[in-house]
Formats: sequence, structure tokens, C-alpha cells
Amino acid sequence: MSLAASQNISAVASSPARSVQAETFKYDNAIVRAFAIATVVWGLVGMTAGLLCAVQLFFPGANLDFQFITFGRLRPLHTNAVIFAFVGNGMFMGIYYSLQRLCKARMFSDFVSWFHFWGWQAIIVSAALTLPLGLTTSKEYAELEWPIKIAITVVWVAFTINLIGTILRRREKHMYVAIWFYIATALTVAVLHLTNSMVIPAGWFKSYSMYAGVQDALVQWWYGHNAVAFFLTTPYLGMMYYFLPKAANRPVFSYRLSIIHFWALIFVYIWAGPHHLLYTALPDWAQSLGMVFSLMLIAPSWGGMLNGLLTLRGAWDKVRQDPMLKFMVVAITAYGMATLEGPTLAIKSVNSLSHYTDWTIAHVHTGALGWNGFLTFSVLYWIFPRLYNTRLYSIKLANYHFWIALLGMMFYVVPMYVAGVTEGLMWKQFTADGFLQYPNFLETVVQIVPMYKLRAIGGTLYIAGVWLMVYNLYRTAKSGVFVKETEAQAVPFRREHAPVERGPHWIHRWLEAKPLTFTVLSVLAILIGGMVEIIPMYLVKENVPTISSVKPYTPLELLGRDIYIREGCVGCHSQMVRPFRSETERYGEYSKAGEFVYDHPFLWGSKRTGPDLHREGGKYPDAWHYNHLENPRSTSPGSIMPNYPWLLSQKLDTTSLPARIQALRKIGVPYPDGFENGPAQKDLQEQSEKIVANLKTGSITANDNREIIAVIAYLQRLGTDIKAAPPVATPPATVQPTAELDSHGQDARATTTAAK
Amino acid sequence: MIEHVLHHLNGIEVFGIISVCLFFGFFTAMLLWASRLKKTYLNSMQELPLDSGEKNSNQDSHE
Repeated sequence: MSLAASQNISAVASSPARSVQAETFKYDNAIVRAFAIATVVWGLVGMTAGLLCAVQLFFPGANLDFQFITFGRLRPLHTNAVIFAFVGNGMFMGIYYSLQRLCKARMFSDFVSWFHFWGWQAIIVSAALTLPLGLTTSKEYAELEWPIKIAITVVWVAFTINLIGTILRRREKHMYVAIWFYIATALTVAVLHLTNSMVIPAGWFKSYSMYAGVQDALVQWWYGHNAVAFFLTTPYLGMMYYFLPKAANRPVFSYRLSIIHFWALIFVYIWAGPHHLLYTALPDWAQSLGMVFSLMLIAPSWGGMLNGLLTLRGAWDKVRQDPMLKFMVVAITAYGMATLEGPTLAIKSVNSLSHYTDWTIAHVHTGALGWNGFLTFSVLYWIFPRLYNTRLYSIKLANYHFWIALLGMMFYVVPMYVAGVTEGLMWKQFTADGFLQYPNFLETVVQIVPMYKLRAIGGTLYIAGVWLMVYNLYRTAKSGVFVKETEAQAVPFRREHAPVERGPHWIHRWLEAKPLTFTVLSVLAILIGGMVEIIPMYLVKENVPTISSVKPYTPLELLGRDIYIREGCVGCHSQMVRPFRSETERYGEYSKAGEFVYDHPFLWGSKRTGPDLHREGGKYPDAWHYNHLENPRSTSPGSIMPNYPWLLSQKLDTTSLPARIQALRKIGVPYPDGFENGPAQKDLQEQSEKIVANLKTGSITANDNREIIAVIAYLQRLGTDIKAAPPVATPPATVQPTAELDSHGQDARATTTAAK
Repeated sequence: MIEHVLHHLNGIEVFGIISVCLFFGFFTAMLLWASRLKKTYLNSMQELPLDSGEKNSNQDSHE
């Protein structure tokens, strides 16, 4: 720090408190090291799980027909491990290091710190055990079942107490902007987690979302979008605002801009969730709201990015020499790219092409690999030498890591962009005669398999870079001595010695000197957007048009649906036919909001590695499904879907059926009273026998108490209610089909109207 | 669709107007407020991360 700057700080900090002696205290480095090690370990686990997922997408046999590591179960393990274990621990590492130093105080409580650490690791381990077992809610980034959700709540409260407690006991009067981002993270994640975790248990590791269909989708993506905002973005922005000035040894470019960045970001972000559901059965007003606010997000996001990059003005020579700054620069650039691309994808016309394709996968990995990954590596390279009071073992190795990771990221995202655009265009391509150019979905899958292979190479390179970092950090640790506590000195902040001045800036100084007031205002800022979106959905039953022929699932279908959830089929198959001619031609009638009123949870999905299944019912005979699930390539040569042999051998568990029916009845599914005590089992048996008889006509002898029978029952039910429907009751369908002209200039609505 | 939603929620017209007012009010106030902050105050704030109060060491400088 420059002498002038140092004197400036000294004057500000000490002038109101000249009569108070400086205190000596110690920063806790042990907790920082624990989170740092956990970050590295879980990062490797999460990324390796991702690589195994990637390999299975061009070599489905890589699961060895072992159900616990099959793509559908492994994918949520990958996403949870990378988000909550890698980035989560990385975030806590950064917060515990920087918060103490910004507050000039040790963490509020060592006990709470360690409770937080071990509690978080226990949650991660329980996720790593339950997700491969298929114990999942199926809601993306919120898959963990209810006992683990409760544990998350308890541990998060502990973290928040530690955070706020430290801030309240600080010796530095002013709260630097990084702390604002940390406060917003702690509180908003709590609100999101509680709102999206409203479930009704139907056993120790089985629950149903209290919301159904459209409401469930809206709440889920309000959560999902803001989990990206407040788990993957705001804490890392706080870390950027702390570690970048430290590394560059110069203050942030514009503190004024950082203030605007913070308030604008937390206020706008929360409104944009519905952009995940464009052209679905979500009401149009919510879709438009999401799109407009997504576009507005570019302003604060780019303000933050520019603030970061401009901090390095006049210091770019340091970037050449310092790998930590190299990682930081790429991280901030990736943040800028991802936050420009996100709003672009939220434009409805772009989204109509990109949604359900690998374009989304490329987008999220620009953020995950670039922003979160590179920033975490940067902070690790910064912290380790300081924790061990030494120098980094090898700058050269860190540089190798940088280039390998950058190359890996490019090999990941570029093929995924190519794959995404290819899929999007092929799905929509019509011949001159007005027929789908690629009516067999498999043609569009086979086309992009080479891109999946390149993606796996990218992932391998990225992980190789992490191993280089592990070695480098290990040697760094070995070359130094761990500094468990760092001694520090500061003049304590006493309110009576520091009256708030009056002047044009007094409001802000008053506000950020009062953490609790600040906290309440931050929560208000995020709640306003949330309320505008969510409240109408809660209040307006009529928002979802009722369709009289839509009935609850039969007991066998219900169990089949639960197996569909267990296997993570939703990871590759959507259940939402959008109102485009290209989709109604391929799949059938577009999906209506009223068709999902008994769907706890909704299973619309967000990716089509395989085709949409909402109109799957009745398309193929039962025997086709049996053969297809046993070995997809027997019916669909070239398919990349895994085999599901265990569905043929595992006995269907019907003992939990009464609890499941009772739970669903409690949240509004109209199963008659007493249905679970006898009639349900009888119904289940009759339907099973019918399917077994159908299979016999296809020369398949099957046992009626196997899981595959329930899955077939569910698949054959999908989207069929409306086919038997009388005209849709008022009010009319939620969304109107979009006018998508075919090659003869005909409006797609003609097709859908005729289908009615 | 928006008409349908509005039609079925009592007082929703006020809800929308309040949202817009809150939104623009919030941003106008924030921009005015940020633009009036004193330079000396901003300078002192942005120096905060560079002083960690640590007694010894290379911790505030990067190799």
C-alpha cells in the first residue's frame, strides 16, 4: 500500500478514537485452511463426477450397468458437488479469510466456525451417499431430501450467526463492499432455500413438493436462478472486491461503482427467474417480466466486471508475471461473458432456439469453469503461501495450470456451443414439403456425439490442471510452517467515539455503520422482486386453467413416476412441448398448464439429451418400452441412453404406497379417503396384470411385480389425459402457440387448432 | 393472460403500479445517493482491504 494511502486509512480509523488504545488480537487461519483443503478435495470429486457424466454421453456403457453411477443419478451429484461443495467451501474459505481482516476481528465464535465446517462437510457426504442411491426430489440444485434440507438450514443459520456476529464485533467502523455481498448471500440463500424446500414427507427419504406443476416450476426456477445469483455470484463478487485489490496492491477502480453494482445487482437479479421457463406453460406475464429484468441485469453485471478489470489499469505488467492475477482476470472476463450471454439467452426468440440444447450447458460452464473455477484457483494461490508464511512453490507450475485450465475450458465450451446451435437448428428444420427434416430425434443426437467427445477432452484437461495445483499447493505447504493464528492490531471501534457526521453522504455512512439496518434493507431489496413474481402465483388458483379430464396418477403410475424421479430421467428428457410447430409436429399437442395440476414435483426438465416425453403415452407398445429400457440400442440404434437392466430385476416396493398417497392427499391430490387401504393395491395389481398381458403379445414374459412395469405404466400415461378430454374448460389455455411459419407460409396455429 | 391474472386478483392494479414505482424510486434514489458521496470518504473506503492490521509480515504485499 502506498504511504499516502496508509496515512489516509490511519487518520480515518484512529481520529475519532484517539483516547482508545490499539488492541492486539489474532485472526483464525485454521478454519480458513480447513475450508481451503475441502475446496480442493471436493472440487476434484465434483469435477471427476462431471467427467464420468461427460464420458457416458458418448459411451453409455461407462456406467458398467451399475445403477449408482448411471448418468441420471450422477449428474445431480456432479452439480451439487461442484456448486455446494467446491464453490461452497471456496466461498467460506474466502469469507472467513477476508471478513476477519476487513472487520479487524477474529470470527465471532470458534465453536460456531467449526460447527459450520463439519456440518457442511457432513451435508456434502450425505449428498454423495443419497444421490447415487436415487434419493432425490429431482428439483435442480435442490435435489437433497428433507432431512438433509433441515440440516442445511441449521448449518446455514450457524454460518449467518458467525457472519453477523463478527460484523457486530468489528473494530473497523465501516463495512467494505465485500461484506455487503456476504450479507446478501447469507440472507438470500436462506430465503430461497426455505421457500423452495416446502415439501411433505412420505417417508424418511421421500417427499413431494407442496407446489404442483406451474407453481412448482416457477418457485423452483425462482430458486434455481437466484441460487446462481446468490451462491455462485454474490459471494464471489465480494471475494473479487477483496482479493483483487490485495493482489494488485491497489484499491478498487471505483468504490462508487461498487456501491451501485451491489444495490442494482441484488435488486434486479431476483426478478429474472422466469427466463428459465420461456415458452413453457408458465403465464406470459411472468415470462415477459423475467425477460425484461434479465436484460436489465447486463448493466450492473458489466459495471462490476469493468470495475474489476479497471482496477488493474496501469498494472497489467503484474498480470504477466503473477499467475494469481492471470486467473483473476480470466475469471472476471468469464463473469462478463456469462452475464452478457445470460440475458441474451433470456430473449424469447433466442431462447426458442437455445433452450433444452447444449448451449445452456456451454453457458453455465463459462460461469462455473471460468468465473467460479478460476477465481477459486486464484484465491487458493493467494491464500496458501500466506497461511504457511512462505512463497508459492512454483510460479511456473501455476502458469502451466493456468494455460491447461484455459485450454480445457475452451475445449469444453466451444464444442458445446456448436452442439447447442446444431441441435436447435436441426430440431426446427423443415423440408420444402413442410415435413420435419429430422423427424427421428436420434439423428440430432448422433450428429453431436463428436462434440461430446471433445467436451470430455476439455474436462480432462481442466482436471489435469487442478492436479497440478494440488501438487503445487502441497509443496508450498511443505516448504513453510502453518500459521495457525495471525496476530493483528487495531483501534477498537466505539460508537460513542465516532458520532455520525451530517452531510450529503451521512445516510450511507450511517447505513453501512449499522449492519442490522443494512441487513434488513438488503433483504427488503431482494424480497420485493420475489414477491412481485411469486405472490400472484400463490394467490390466483385461476391462473392455472383446469382441464376436467386430467386425473391423479393411478397407484402403479405414481410408483412408476417415483422411479422416473429416482433414476433422474428428468436430466435428459423434458416434459414440456412448447407451442412451436416444430415441436407439435414432432411430439404432438403443446403442453397446457392444466395438465400438471397433480404433478408434485413438476418434471418439465431443462435439457433434451433425449426427446421430450410429455406426449409419450400411447406412442409405442408396452413391449417397445420394455426392450428399450433393457437396452435402448435394441430399439434405437445409436442411442446414448444407458441400459436399465435393474428395472427388470428389482421388485417394486409397494409398502410405501399408503404413505405416498396420504402425503399427496394432504397437499391437494384428490385421492378418495381410505383409497390407500386396499383399493389402491387392488388397482395397482389389475393395472400390472394388464401390462404383463400386453407384454406377452410382444413375446415378453415378465413378472408383474417388477419396477419396469410401473415405469411403463407411467410412460404410457404421460400426456394422454388431454387426448380423451372434452373441450378445455374456461379459462382458455395459458399460452397461445407462437406463429411459426412453415415453408409454405402457413401458420403453425393451424396445426394445434386442428389437434383440438 | 395478464388480463386474466389481473382480473382474478383483487387490487392487482395497485400491485403493478406499486412495483413500478418501487423499482424506479429505488434506482433513482440509489443513483442520486451514490453520486453525492464524498470523494474523501470513497477513497478511505476503497483502501480498507489494503490494511488488514496484521502486525508482521509479507501478508499485505504480494510476491
